[in-house]
Amino acid sequence: MKNTKKLVALAISSMVGISLLVTAPAHSAACSSRTKFTMEGTIKREIEQQFMSAVKDYNPSQSCYTLEVYPNHPSSDTFLSIVTPKYAAHNAATIMYALQEIPQMADKVIGWNGSPLAGLVPSNLLAAATIKGKIVGIPSTVEAFGLLYNKAVLDKAGVDPTKIATRSDLEAAFKALQAKGFNAIHFSDVWWSLGAHFMNEYFTHAGATSSARLKVLDSLANGSKNLSNDPTWNDYVATFDLLKKYSDNTNPTFQDTEFLNSVADLASGKTGFLFQGNWAEPNLLQADPKGSYGIMNLPMNNDPKGYGNDSIAVGVPGYFMIDRIDSTAAQRQGAKDFLTWLYTSPAGQHHVADAAGQNGAGGMGFIPVYNGFKVQAATYMAGAIAKYVGANKTLEWVNTYFPAGGQNIYGDLGQKYMVGKITAADYAKGIQDAWKGKPKTWRGEAVSN
Amino acid sequence: MMLKNPLIKKYAYFGLIPSIFFLSILAYPFVQGAYLTFTNWNGFGYTKVIGFPNYLHAVQDPVFWSTIWFTVKFVIGSVIAVNAVAFGLALLVTSKLKSSNVFRTFFFIPNLIGGIALGVIWQFIFNNILTGLSHKFALPFFKSSLLGTTGGAYWALILVTVWQSSGYMMIIYITGLVSIDNEVLEAAKVDGASALRTLWNIKMPLMVQAFTISLFLTLRNGFMAYDVNLSLTGGGPFRTTELVSMHVYNEAFSYGHFGSGQAKAVIMFIFVALAALLQVGVSKRLEANS
Repeated sequence: MKNTKKLVALAISSMVGISLLVTAPAHSAACSSRTKFTMEGTIKREIEQQFMSAVKDYNPSQSCYTLEVYPNHPSSDTFLSIVTPKYAAHNAATIMYALQEIPQMADKVIGWNGSPLAGLVPSNLLAAATIKGKIVGIPSTVEAFGLLYNKAVLDKAGVDPTKIATRSDLEAAFKALQAKGFNAIHFSDVWWSLGAHFMNEYFTHAGATSSARLKVLDSLANGSKNLSNDPTWNDYVATFDLLKKYSDNTNPTFQDTEFLNSVADLASGKTGFLFQGNWAEPNLLQADPKGSYGIMNLPMNNDPKGYGNDSIAVGVPGYFMIDRIDSTAAQRQGAKDFLTWLYTSPAGQHHVADAAGQNGAGGMGFIPVYNGFKVQAATYMAGAIAKYVGANKTLEWVNTYFPAGGQNIYGDLGQKYMVGKITAADYAKGIQDAWKGKPKTWRGEAVSN
Repeated sequence: MMLKNPLIKKYAYFGLIPSIFFLSILAYPFVQGAYLTFTNWNGFGYTKVIGFPNYLHAVQDPVFWSTIWFTVKFVIGSVIAVNAVAFGLALLVTSKLKSSNVFRTFFFIPNLIGGIALGVIWQFIFNNILTGLSHKFALPFFKSSLLGTTGGAYWALILVTVWQSSGYMMIIYITGLVSIDNEVLEAAKVDGASALRTLWNIKMPLMVQAFTISLFLTLRNGFMAYDVNLSLTGGGPFRTTELVSMHVYNEAFSYGHFGSGQAKAVIMFIFVALAALLQVGVSKRLEANS
């Protein structure tokens, strides 16, 4: 684990200037005709214009391939609803991008084992995309979540985020904010925040090593786990209660619109803390470009040396996969060529790492994870995350192993607990029931009905 | 040639093409879909026929039953509300008002807005405008969004459905009302029947077909409702306002349970078919009696 963390640190710090020799893309020779290949969507819809401008630069940069991007589906469409009809019609896109559906896709996409591009990625970032030894996809970036804060508000209330090491420190900080007339924290009621990110706070603290955490998943899938007897679970619930007690979110609507409102409140200085991730930063900077927004750990217990109390959760939000069923060898070559260009050429790296600007300008604002990256991540928060990674203070995204649709169920349970519709014991039991009998994809088990 | 018989020839010209369309885009997918529920289909393909486990999994899911119950409540509520409002509007715009044509147009307009857009608009009204007004003027109601509770979201769904489809049903009722022979109405007037009596004993029995059509359409729309559900409540809070279409979609495409999702779709088909047959049967009897 320590080694792999060092590798992430290396990947991030490499953007400061370690340059590695990267093999030149294979298309240096001119081609007589162009092969068309396709990609499903633009990684995330929020960066659609930035991604398309990268494609616009890629196509004329060589003479062998043309990348055509299928438009993003409405956000209510799930990955499976998009790709299953295309596979039925023998019309799958060459490049696809997903996270929790990787186990379902493993036999339909090429393996990246031994490829130059996968060789540039720290091995722990490939773990979640490795099924029975086959590297199914390569990562786009890393994202982090934890407590976001508005630096100016914390300064006014005399709160130093670096001094918060325990749950009671955090409560003291909340009280200090309220004493100065600020709302202490916004605890989001959106299902994906509660179901994927906040839920992960339990799983990632449930063991100090990767194998210990996977054993917790094993016991849940076997049905032998009793969460109510688990001190980490009780700390998780106590942390939930603390955030709820000080949250300004007293009338939850359970709707996605709440995300933008909460971000606006943090940017305007109404609220001091927000439990979210660095994907909120573009919205924050749009609301107040001069603000400084940091990210810090969410302490889970009152032991200042407790595992993970000083760390933030860092993980890969999605992996690129290349179809092997419906595509031709030339199309697969084109797909590899594009991804290589995107992550290793100077022009591609600017599209990846430059900060996203207004109206689709700029790059995708990704934190670089490929060795040999020469373009620096631009923003204050990206710098803060790089610092956590550099200091080995990262927690695993165990939510990567959540079964497809699991986060919806955990999110519903979290919402019910938030408004007091169920007790902590019901919450624990609901989580246990949702896990019981699920295939152990983290052990390479296949997904079936 | 085999096409000597002129009837067969006629059928070949006018019947075959529609039959091929019917078989290929309706019958075949339906049979295929029903067949897949007996296999271990995972969305991409299947390897063996497994029998009934998908149905077992479907009927053992408590969320499925609560979804069906919620859908039935929604269908009852929306069928009553939509038809009552639509019939009322139809009476209003066929009365001798000068501006009745303008009203007809206005009442019909919400039907021209797609369900998704309508849901988003109303979500904004419920979440931001109503709560905003409530806080500004310290009103005792709408302090928090209707969509935050199951009961509130139910009425929000009914309200938006009424808003969306009563204009359309109104048109059907107008057709029924204007098709009544004026002589009958005049005869009633001469006999001294009150307006209410005319409505109950003359107009409504003579336009029972309009009720049959409208009830069938609203019933079907209620069971199949998806777009407003998706964009207005998204199934929340806590998956308690998922109508059955959305539940089937989520089961298959969010959770990846394609087999049991498809089995639930088949169960839903049986429900809708039974409800529609029952309704049409009852209405036909009314038509025959009138």
